[in-house]
Amino acid sequence: MTATSSPTDRYVAATLRSLPGRQRQDIEAELRALIADAIDDRREAGVDADSAERQVLTELGAPARLAASYSERSLHLIGPEFYLDYVRVLMLLLSTLVPLWFVIFGLVTFADGSTAGVAFGGALYSALETAMSIAFFTTLVFAVIERVSAVRTKRTATWDPSSLPEVRDKRDRFSVLIGGVIFLAVIVISLVLIQTVGAVEGPGGARVGPVDSGLWESGVFYIALLIAIASIPFHLLAYYTGWSTANAIANTVFVALFAVPAVWLAASGRLLSDDYFRAVGWPEGADVIAVVVIVFVLLITASDAVGGWVRASKKRRTR
Amino acid sequence: MLNEEALATHRQELRRGTIVLACLLLLSRPNYGYALLDALEKSGFDVDANTLYPLLRRLEKQGLLTSEWNTEDSRPRKFYVTSKEGAALADTLKRDWYDLDSAFLSLKDDS
Repeated sequence: MTATSSPTDRYVAATLRSLPGRQRQDIEAELRALIADAIDDRREAGVDADSAERQVLTELGAPARLAASYSERSLHLIGPEFYLDYVRVLMLLLSTLVPLWFVIFGLVTFADGSTAGVAFGGALYSALETAMSIAFFTTLVFAVIERVSAVRTKRTATWDPSSLPEVRDKRDRFSVLIGGVIFLAVIVISLVLIQTVGAVEGPGGARVGPVDSGLWESGVFYIALLIAIASIPFHLLAYYTGWSTANAIANTVFVALFAVPAVWLAASGRLLSDDYFRAVGWPEGADVIAVVVIVFVLLITASDAVGGWVRASKKRRTR
Repeated sequence: MLNEEALATHRQELRRGTIVLACLLLLSRPNYGYALLDALEKSGFDVDANTLYPLLRRLEKQGLLTSEWNTEDSRPRKFYVTSKEGAALADTLKRDWYDLDSAFLSLKDDS
């Protein structure tokens, strides 16, 4: 700041700083004339030069606000049009993915040989990181949408009452979705616990769990888990956009991707460890549990696939 | 009782569009920002300088006003004048204003 820069100079510079280049020159010339006119007017009324200048600039208000008004730029990150959607999506993502990530990260670290304390601390830290990434990227996406005028006009132009979701149906689907996430977490936790903590001493002196050890180490369960986790955003998307025939077909393929290998593994005796069931004194247990697993997988997946078709047909009828 | 802030908001909401109409009417004769602010205040329109100046530019961008720099006076000033589209909009808005006025009057008659 040099001794020669007057408050007016500083005010004009501060206003112009955030304006696009092509407007600057014209706005600067006009703004200077407007301020000078206002100051002259006050001096004629008997106010001294310094106070007149200060009064005029005070009345014009913060330069950033004036500049925003000139450039018609919004002074908010996410406006009222998108705020409710933003909060809803953010809450949904945080409340489902963060706890899930916490549990899975903790279990995997623990199963990998860390102590319970280390696994807990690591999971807590990792869950916080996940929460921050989710919050940041959700906010970023919505802030971009807010500033892309094409998205805004499309959104306001295409809304009509027929796009309203079914009230009862929506609540049902939402609770089913949340229930599914919790169910998945419980399955994963119990499976990992039984296999690691519940392992017994097998014939060769090595500890064996109920799941075939070769299969367990092959990483096939990570793939199954990945498919199950991937189905969460898939259902979430369908929840927001409504179920269509395309959704139902995709859902059926998705479900088959999981069900067919699972049933094949169980039916061919590759899923469970015979050594484990012999060690716990229940030799025929492997066959019994295999049948239970097959029935269980078929029931769950079939109901999911059929549910998709029912929702899709319901949607068509209400249109 | 209504608090002062709420009262001010309601009055501001009611007046919001009237400044545009007043500008379009006053600028049937060319004038510059500060003189227009003064004229508006003298006619009883309460408007802030930091609202009026950006508004003039927006109206110009929409083609409702045209502008020209006048360099004959002691300091160069940007003069605005209502365009043909601006005059047409002013007519429409004025009619709306009178329609609203008679609508309010009829409310009064009924009660």
